[in-house]
Amino acid sequence: MIALSGVTHSLEVIEILGGKASQIPIAVTPFKDDDKNNDVQLMHEVIANDLSRSGLFSPIDISGVSQYPYDERDVNFSNWSALQSQFILLGKLRKTAVGRNNLQVEVIWSLVDIYKEKTIMTISLKGPAKQYRLIAHRIADIVYEKLTGSEGIFQTNIAFVKKFNPKQYSLFISDYDGYNPKAILNSKHPIISPRWSPDGKKIAYVSFEKKKPVIYIQNIETGKRTLLANFRGNNSAPAWSPDSRKLAIVLTYSLNSQIYVIKADGSDIKQIMRTRSINTEPTWAPNGKELYFSSDRGGSAQIYKVDMATNEVERVTYEGKNNLSPSLSPDGKLLLFLNQEDRKYRVAVQNLLSNQVLKLTSGPDDESPIFSPNGHMVLFTYKDYGKTSKIGTVSINGLKVTPIDVGSGIIMESTWGPIKN
Amino acid sequence: MKKSLLLASILALLAAGCSTTEINEPMGLNAPFPELENMTADGSEVDLEGNVSGDSLSQTALDELAASGELADRSIYFDYDRYAIKEEFEGLIGNHAAFINKHSAGVVIYGNADYRGSHEYNLALGQKRAVAVKQALEALGVDMSAIETVSFGEEHANQECTGSTCGQDRRADIGYVGE
Repeated sequence: MIALSGVTHSLEVIEILGGKASQIPIAVTPFKDDDKNNDVQLMHEVIANDLSRSGLFSPIDISGVSQYPYDERDVNFSNWSALQSQFILLGKLRKTAVGRNNLQVEVIWSLVDIYKEKTIMTISLKGPAKQYRLIAHRIADIVYEKLTGSEGIFQTNIAFVKKFNPKQYSLFISDYDGYNPKAILNSKHPIISPRWSPDGKKIAYVSFEKKKPVIYIQNIETGKRTLLANFRGNNSAPAWSPDSRKLAIVLTYSLNSQIYVIKADGSDIKQIMRTRSINTEPTWAPNGKELYFSSDRGGSAQIYKVDMATNEVERVTYEGKNNLSPSLSPDGKLLLFLNQEDRKYRVAVQNLLSNQVLKLTSGPDDESPIFSPNGHMVLFTYKDYGKTSKIGTVSINGLKVTPIDVGSGIIMESTWGPIKN
Repeated sequence: MKKSLLLASILALLAAGCSTTEINEPMGLNAPFPELENMTADGSEVDLEGNVSGDSLSQTALDELAASGELADRSIYFDYDRYAIKEEFEGLIGNHAAFINKHSAGVVIYGNADYRGSHEYNLALGQKRAVAVKQALEALGVDMSAIETVSFGEEHANQECTGSTCGQDRRADIGYVGE
């Protein structure tokens, strides 16, 4: 049985890369449901897809199985063991109508260890049948946490920009797997760099609606937005501090792109470094004391970090022609960035203790890498056959790349929201 | 001829300056940034063209701009990942500098980048190209407060460009207030 401690998990996964990485085999069987004609039937697929996407599980093919168990007592251990399955997730559904058009569903499900012939947990979850995907994500999160020791992210949201044509852009939020998309902003002008506040309530983004880039903060619940920064020149690259009270931003007020920190209410701005080179794409270390950023001060774009108390700067990346778009894992131990080599832009991760670099994707036009809130997955954009930009996830062990389907249009500038409390 | 030689040497200096390693000069800690004009508290905006001290083009100037073959070219192209102005664009910049000085015109330089790399870094790169043109104009006597710079990054770029066609997007364009 695999038991990994929470915060160090991503590092362990990185270190076992190179063929030795293992995935947990699990059978996720259809839940018993007397009413066959509804989407709720798909719950087990949602769960299996979640676990698969993480790269830490390999849901086994159950298409050849004629009869599924619906109760922990019905599991035929030797049969499932023969299918190489270490765990089985099974269950049954009960539906109750509460008024008109308000079908409630109850899932009574069990996670069973086939090797040990032992039930790990049996849990009942209830909710509106319409939200069957959310219930399924919840189940996947519980299983994930039980078997990996780390919090799951299957109930989180992502945000992305969709460009329908050069005069039509929308900022969307959706479930982490691309379902239930909802536009929170429509504009005739480009929108870039959306960033979720760590408290989950707001999104900061850059809009070109004033014929130049300016930064807005939008309340997701109310849709109300405020102009955070409209200083002379370009205003861009918002990055929330871990406590959601401040943002690092980039202005060209003094000529070239420079980093400033401003309170979320737009007051109390101060410059972090003063150079003539490009300083951009700031991102906070989880300790709130350092910013990582990209800069061309050394002749090519590389990633540096600055201690905000001392203004001391240290170069962080050395491999590759250019390195861009830094962000950190929640434990601060891994640097995620865009690496350019041989005209290919790929998502890469650097262990900040050993400085070992691993390329997670193959390029050639990957962009916008960002960690899932537990640091186990990365959301990024890529170009389909070198043309249309799309989004997908890659597991931090590099084993699983999965597209996210959010329909047609150019999908860009994706970002991941925090775990909801 | 003399003027163009002077410009060439200034451009060479600018280009050389661009490739050197910059020293990070720390500023006073916690010091407020004195000359930074914040947007107003009531939410009113800092207007792009309103920042420029130069004048809106008069009808005479507009007519001259429209009629002049020399001023028709407004775009300065750059090499991949670069922001040094190439010699072949000295004449173009010189023609516009003369026009700006003659009419005390307000100017906005728009910087652009090709699609490769991140949107934010390309915004910074486009800005650096706009700044290179601004500095070249200043070197020819244009008042720095008459020039505003803005970057569109890769937002106007051809997302499917390949090879040399991407060069069309590595560009700074000269725009005039009031046209």
